[in-house]
Amino acid sequence: MAYSRSHILTPFTEKLDQIHSSIMTIGELARANFKNAICGLFERNDDYCNNAIANDEEIDLLEMQIDREGLYIMSRFQPVASDLRYVISSMKIGANIERIGDQVVSIARRSRKINEHPEVPELHELDKVIKLAMKMFDDALRAYTEENETLALHIKTQDKQLDRLNKELNERLILRMQDDSSKIPIYFNLIFISRCLERIGDHAANIAEDVVFAVSAEDIRHLGS
Amino acid sequence: MNPTSINSTELLPSSSKVTPSGVTNETFIKVINFDFFYGKKQTLFNINFAIPSKHVTSFIGPSGSGKSTLLRNFNRMNELLPGVRHEGDITIEGRSIFDASIEIIALRRRIGMVFQKSNPFPRSIYENVVFPLRIMGCHKRAHLNETVERSLRSVALWDEVKDRLGENALGLSGGQMQRLCIARAIAGQPDILLMDEPCSALDPIATAKIEELIVELKKEFTIIIVTHSMQQASRVSDLTAFFNFGKLIEFDHTNRIFTAPIEKQTEDYITGRFG
Amino acid sequence: MMIPHSNPPHHFFSNHEKKTSFLRLWSNQLLTTLCVLFSFFTLVPLFSLLYLLIHKGLPLLHFSVFTKLPPPPGLHGGGFGNAIIGTITMVGIATLLSAPIGILGAIYISEYAPHSSLTATVRFIAKLLTGIPSIICGAFAFALVVLHTGQFSALAGGAALSILMLPTILLTSEQALMGVPSSYRDASYGLGATPFQTIWRIVLPEALPAMMMGMMLAVARAAGETAPVLFTALFSQQWASSIMEPTASLSVLIYNFSALPYHYQVQMAWTASLVLVAMVTGTNILAQLLFRRKFQ
Repeated sequence: MAYSRSHILTPFTEKLDQIHSSIMTIGELARANFKNAICGLFERNDDYCNNAIANDEEIDLLEMQIDREGLYIMSRFQPVASDLRYVISSMKIGANIERIGDQVVSIARRSRKINEHPEVPELHELDKVIKLAMKMFDDALRAYTEENETLALHIKTQDKQLDRLNKELNERLILRMQDDSSKIPIYFNLIFISRCLERIGDHAANIAEDVVFAVSAEDIRHLGS
Repeated sequence: MNPTSINSTELLPSSSKVTPSGVTNETFIKVINFDFFYGKKQTLFNINFAIPSKHVTSFIGPSGSGKSTLLRNFNRMNELLPGVRHEGDITIEGRSIFDASIEIIALRRRIGMVFQKSNPFPRSIYENVVFPLRIMGCHKRAHLNETVERSLRSVALWDEVKDRLGENALGLSGGQMQRLCIARAIAGQPDILLMDEPCSALDPIATAKIEELIVELKKEFTIIIVTHSMQQASRVSDLTAFFNFGKLIEFDHTNRIFTAPIEKQTEDYITGRFG
Repeated sequence: MMIPHSNPPHHFFSNHEKKTSFLRLWSNQLLTTLCVLFSFFTLVPLFSLLYLLIHKGLPLLHFSVFTKLPPPPGLHGGGFGNAIIGTITMVGIATLLSAPIGILGAIYISEYAPHSSLTATVRFIAKLLTGIPSIICGAFAFALVVLHTGQFSALAGGAALSILMLPTILLTSEQALMGVPSSYRDASYGLGATPFQTIWRIVLPEALPAMMMGMMLAVARAAGETAPVLFTALFSQQWASSIMEPTASLSVLIYNFSALPYHYQVQMAWTASLVLVAMVTGTNILAQLLFRRKFQ
């Protein structure tokens, strides 16, 4: 059953549309910041990183606005059933996106540190992790707009893959550290960035769980782990 | 309609309960030191507040809190009852409604009223809507027809009844009858619309339609609605006034009243901890 | 889903319940039967009366009774056309006199000043008046009209009947007006109508059917009264040429003829009774048909 935000009472519909568009805005911002931070790392350009760090403030403000909008809808329109789930999920998704924003800031900071050192080929060890984390985040946002339960459930399986990639990368980098101790700070930061990417995947998975709850009232957290 | 962004001032405490902060429209109706007596019994105590135009203001409070009494003072309907008197004043656009120069009939023609129980006259749908024009002595067919269509369109009833305007209004459903009464109330193009529990006898869908209508009508009218349903007040109104024991306890933005009221009495009432 | 902790089983229909419900059932049926029986009994006098009227009145019922004058005592033939006309005239006069006062009075006490002391007084006196013996009304009209004009007349008879009708019309009209939902008045006043507009356009049209019914009731009652017309309009063997002369009426004719020792005249009294009852019943049925409420 497709969820329709349209109600007899127009202001109710408007406020639901509003919280939806706020989620889309915060999602787009976080996505752009994510790309900025990664660009900063690969193109060794601190400007990108600084941009990503500065823009996070806007994400924080948007998260607060989403909470305000959710509270407003709950106090004024007393949503029930799918509307109630939609509002609660939206508020939680807003919080998760904000956390992704925080992880992006960490990535940007670590990138700036790596940029202080000469380039290392191991940088491209991150490619797969970045690609997967970004895909998961994109998919999570798409699942939210499309109310796509199948896509959301798929994200959950990708999360395990991301965990594995992160773990493998950590092991490889730790081995390198033992080989070349002069590059320890770089490897160390790379491990941190990988960890941030893994966290972003976790948040994307959380978003997916919230989408599933909004769409089908099914709580799929902490199942079979 | 553009989604209006939620103003953070709505969440800030107001400086005074007389005029909530952030209300830009000028004061339209002002209640000044208003007391009301029914026989020897005082039912309203020193009410002071200002209602802005083109807003929906709801009055909430327990039965006997005086909210309906105050509402019925705006068009002086209370004066149909024996042994009533008031002290203090109510002004509309700065003029006292109790002034000797104000004709009570003229006042009521500027203020539409919708009652708890829908009360269409046992006439045709058409004659119900044109009643305000007929009593003003207008019988021009073209004008009457135009008014009927405009008023019924405003209440989203036109498409449902346009083919049976000559049928008795009592044959309509409860929700349609109430919408007809609203159409009748706005047919004379008043400035203010008073609603006394307009949805208390309606099912949820009919209620939702009336609520949507109220939100729609506030573009043209200043609307004051008395309701026992706090949910309704929160859904439709911009401002909410809470009454208890004949006193105005709190008057503020609806969102604020239902998120963080200042007065404990308000909190206790809206959360159901009363008494 | 599991239903948590159901209560220990208890019998929905316990023995005790059965016993009381059995008793209740019986007393209920007994009362119902009695009600049906007694409402049937009320029909008995009505139907026996009708039977008697038709049985005794029908033989002399010809077209000529409506067109001819009453026969002198002891003679046969003739009719009571002048009495029918007289009754209609007097009731008409009475209605013309009492209806405006009664209806306007009712409008005043119900719409304009429902809470004033004048209203309370009027209502109280009207209730008293309904209990006044009809012969007193006759005496009053005799003193007021007959003594002043110096003769018995249809006008005096009408005046006597109007006094009889007035409280009925006033009180039934008031009831009719009070029966109009106050929500209509609220709506009308709320839209800025004047009291006159509210009454004329909203209240009166609504109350009219009930008011007419009340009036017809008063008319029916007045048509059957003998005492008030007995010494105001007296009686006449002739066709009346004006309302200022003694006038025959059905009720007085019945009264006079039934006391005569002639069989024919007594029989004609029965026929006149039949006609009177038919007229009254006809009026009532007509009123019901004409003023039945169009909408619930």
